[in-house]
Amino acid sequence: MIYRITAPNLAELYRKAAEHYDSLPAFATRINALKWHPVSFRELYEQGLNLATGLIEIGVGARDHVGHFGDNRFEWILADYGVQLCGAADVPRGRDVTDDELVYIINHAHIEVTFVETELLQERILYLRDELPNLREIILLDPEGTPEPGVRSLNEVIEIGARLRAEGDRRAKERIKDIQPDDLFTLIYTSGTTGQPKGVMLTHANMISQVESIPSRHNCADRVVSILPIWHIFERVFEMYTISFGACTYYSSIRTLSEDLKNVEPTFMGSAPRLWEKLHERILKNVRESHPVRRALFRIAYFLARNYKDSLYFLNDKKLKLRPYPEWRRLFLAPLHALRWLLVVPWYGFFNAAVLERIRLGAGGSLKATVSGGGALPIEIDKFFNYVGIPVLEGYGMTETSPVIAVRKSDDLVIGTVGPPIPGTEIRIVDYETGEVQYPNDNYPYEGRGRKGEIWARGPQVMKGYYRQPELTEQIIQDGWMRTGDLGMITHNDCLKILGRCKSTIVLSSGENVEPEPIEMRLQQSPYIDYCMVVGQDQRFLGALIVPVLDELRKIGYHDYSLDELASDTTVQNIIRNEIKGAISTTNGFRRYEQIRDFRLLPQSFQVGDELTNLYKLKRHVIENKYAGMIREIYNIEPVTVE
Amino acid sequence: MEFDTQLLYPSDQALLALMIFIIMLGMGASLTVGDFRAVGRRPRGVLIGFMSQFGLMPLVAFTLAIVLNFHPAFAIALILIGCLPGGTTSNMFAYFARGSVALSISMTTASTIMALLMMPILLELYASGFTQQISEAMRAEGVEGEFVIPTINIISSLLLVLIPVAIGMFIRRNWPDWAKTAEDTAGFMAIIVILYLIGTAFVRHGGLFLQTPITVYIGAICVGLIGFLFGYWFSRLWGVPPIFQRAISLETGIQNGPLAFAVILLSFTDPIQSQMIWLAILYSTFIVITSSFITLYFRKKGRFDYEVHRNTVIHNRLFGDNYVTHYPAGFLPKRIAHDPSQGSSPSQIREVEKV
Repeated sequence: MIYRITAPNLAELYRKAAEHYDSLPAFATRINALKWHPVSFRELYEQGLNLATGLIEIGVGARDHVGHFGDNRFEWILADYGVQLCGAADVPRGRDVTDDELVYIINHAHIEVTFVETELLQERILYLRDELPNLREIILLDPEGTPEPGVRSLNEVIEIGARLRAEGDRRAKERIKDIQPDDLFTLIYTSGTTGQPKGVMLTHANMISQVESIPSRHNCADRVVSILPIWHIFERVFEMYTISFGACTYYSSIRTLSEDLKNVEPTFMGSAPRLWEKLHERILKNVRESHPVRRALFRIAYFLARNYKDSLYFLNDKKLKLRPYPEWRRLFLAPLHALRWLLVVPWYGFFNAAVLERIRLGAGGSLKATVSGGGALPIEIDKFFNYVGIPVLEGYGMTETSPVIAVRKSDDLVIGTVGPPIPGTEIRIVDYETGEVQYPNDNYPYEGRGRKGEIWARGPQVMKGYYRQPELTEQIIQDGWMRTGDLGMITHNDCLKILGRCKSTIVLSSGENVEPEPIEMRLQQSPYIDYCMVVGQDQRFLGALIVPVLDELRKIGYHDYSLDELASDTTVQNIIRNEIKGAISTTNGFRRYEQIRDFRLLPQSFQVGDELTNLYKLKRHVIENKYAGMIREIYNIEPVTVE
Repeated sequence: MEFDTQLLYPSDQALLALMIFIIMLGMGASLTVGDFRAVGRRPRGVLIGFMSQFGLMPLVAFTLAIVLNFHPAFAIALILIGCLPGGTTSNMFAYFARGSVALSISMTTASTIMALLMMPILLELYASGFTQQISEAMRAEGVEGEFVIPTINIISSLLLVLIPVAIGMFIRRNWPDWAKTAEDTAGFMAIIVILYLIGTAFVRHGGLFLQTPITVYIGAICVGLIGFLFGYWFSRLWGVPPIFQRAISLETGIQNGPLAFAVILLSFTDPIQSQMIWLAILYSTFIVITSSFITLYFRKKGRFDYEVHRNTVIHNRLFGDNYVTHYPAGFLPKRIAHDPSQGSSPSQIREVEKV
């Protein structure tokens, strides 16, 4: 049974949710494993109205930007309610925001009033206060923390509002009426090593379009566990989406997640690839350590599940088709798959019930679907969970598209793709160099399906622009088309497949964006390093491929060595390691996640025309392909098997 | 039809005995002493289940035997199957059918114990007519004597079978990890052995499948199906919640197949033993198939009410027993909205409210 509400803007959505779902729990916070504190839609809305009125009283105007620094907790969403209900927009960032970013964001976004989550953040802001001329009010979220002089507690502002509302203050409701679909609901600053953070302007219409068009089968008897950073747009869409169908969001944390999954038994959840990698590791570890009989049962179960699902995907025409698949071949193979399916199904039925169900119980056992986003999900892990019966729907998007561009649907699940574009979204595949549209293009066979290029997206979710950076906005949005900078193709199933990045930006599996050039430039300052390329797309940490300088190493005693011999010499490796450590350090202004944890010395130098362009720029794709084995070695990637 | 050859060779009998031992061990491994105590906590469900299992099911078997004009040996076997307690397989099916596993387990334990008393009484009641037919047939062939239901043997074979159950419970108590393995292995074993028996029957007595009258197939299939149907509607008439209805339905239709083999092997002799075994094999095969389909049907049908039920249970688990979940007006269909026992606590009384 599908049951959901929608509204022209978030404030209206909050109001309608309170009206509709009333005393149902909206958000729950963990006190201990079996004790959680629920807050109902009604309570949250009333508190939010009080806060909004309080905010208006302390001078927050309509369409003002309110700072919102902190991580997942109930007060975060309450503050968000307050901001939305007074017609303002919030500017969120997590606790790990650096001082430079704080100063930049607060000044660039003209923030006058800000929320801070913890005492530590409060101290940091107070310390930076001289650099923040516009900042008037600081509100501390943590109810256990003590506000410094000049700082208000969240409760204080709520009480101001509550008093005013009791006296008949209706300003918040007027503000709600005044909200236009084109008004910002948030301004998210994305980090980047090059240049300053960019403020992504997302409107109510952006968010509402997402809430309305995400394929759903949920209702108010569902449970959603929240684990991703709350200020991340991917998680925020889930929060809004969950409010729209009236389910309760349970705030979990990395530390307690496996326990919470068992107690809350979520039916839906958003997650990053890393989470599934970890869960996969844990399941396999448990299997390895279990009794030989159980281990054998698991292997049989997995084998059956694989055969069963593979045939099922084939018969339902859900097999990944990168090339056109002739119909005669399908018709020829279909009976064979039907036969395999029939042979496997009774056994699968038993093993699915007896063995695979236990694995699903590890994730609570009630998951109808989970959406993975924020990075590429390794295909073997993707297959593993879909085979054992936890439907992992991979999605694709970016902050600038608030964020979903495409996502798999439960009933249209093609493994290896990120699914079809969501309704109302157009996709174009454009050649990165020539600018020629590859798809849809009638001059190519199959309208250009299967051709690679940069993904362009147009739809109601595309941002309004970068705040106060129109020239940057013009570069990235042309004629409504958002250039994603990602390389992809439309498969012959009409699903989108992501193939990598056009730009050099590396996205780690933790979701951090890293620009490799500054790191490479810093490394190449070392006398011993000739060329280097930073790698780590979708990995946990950065690695580097390095070409050492032969002459310099000869000077310090490695006379007759060739590059090939140097590459395997441990003393040389130590020299380079120390160089890297010295260069990419926090004292040199690099962040923790930007540090190079492992590297490989290359046996040959880079050649112009081969690995380098005429302008000595790295051809990243060429190098990645050539040294794919080494990169796999850095990350210890073995083909994932069930052994 | 008459069986001129012995259906089971001694080696098969040994295999069957081993299977029964392992399955009963597995059954024990899935039970705890707490499960027996739990029977007392949901007396209403267990009582309705009891009436359904020992009241309806033997009657269904008896009626089928009469209507389909069964050979007395088949008739006695069918009635025997009708009188059996529920097996642990029903717990697994109840789980996947979104039924109450707790009730299923309670009913299994209660009926296993009660079978000691009920089976002799019920067999006496329903099967005595058929035993006379056999006696007459025997006399017609010039064999002296009277065929009677071996009541004492049945009780003692039931008791014998409870020994591995007790061992299984002991394992569960002391080595819970082992118990899990034993449970899974048992389920797997059961399927293998049944398939083996069918396979060998097919190889050795290929004609048997054709010789067997179609009515016997119908009886073997229908006894389970009608059991599901009656169990469902009977419990629904009593107004128990949907999750209980599904559990009672499955528990009624799914009997403890291995127990049937044990009782037949230990208490009956040829000429009728082979025929009885044959019917038990047919029943055990078809019940796995029919209950799989019924489970899939229940799973689909019960999806919504089960989700609502789970959500309520988890709200009580996390927010305290006194937390009451109010769904918006019109969200719950009437049948669920007026069901007072969907939640796990007495305070879960939901009425359709006007917002």
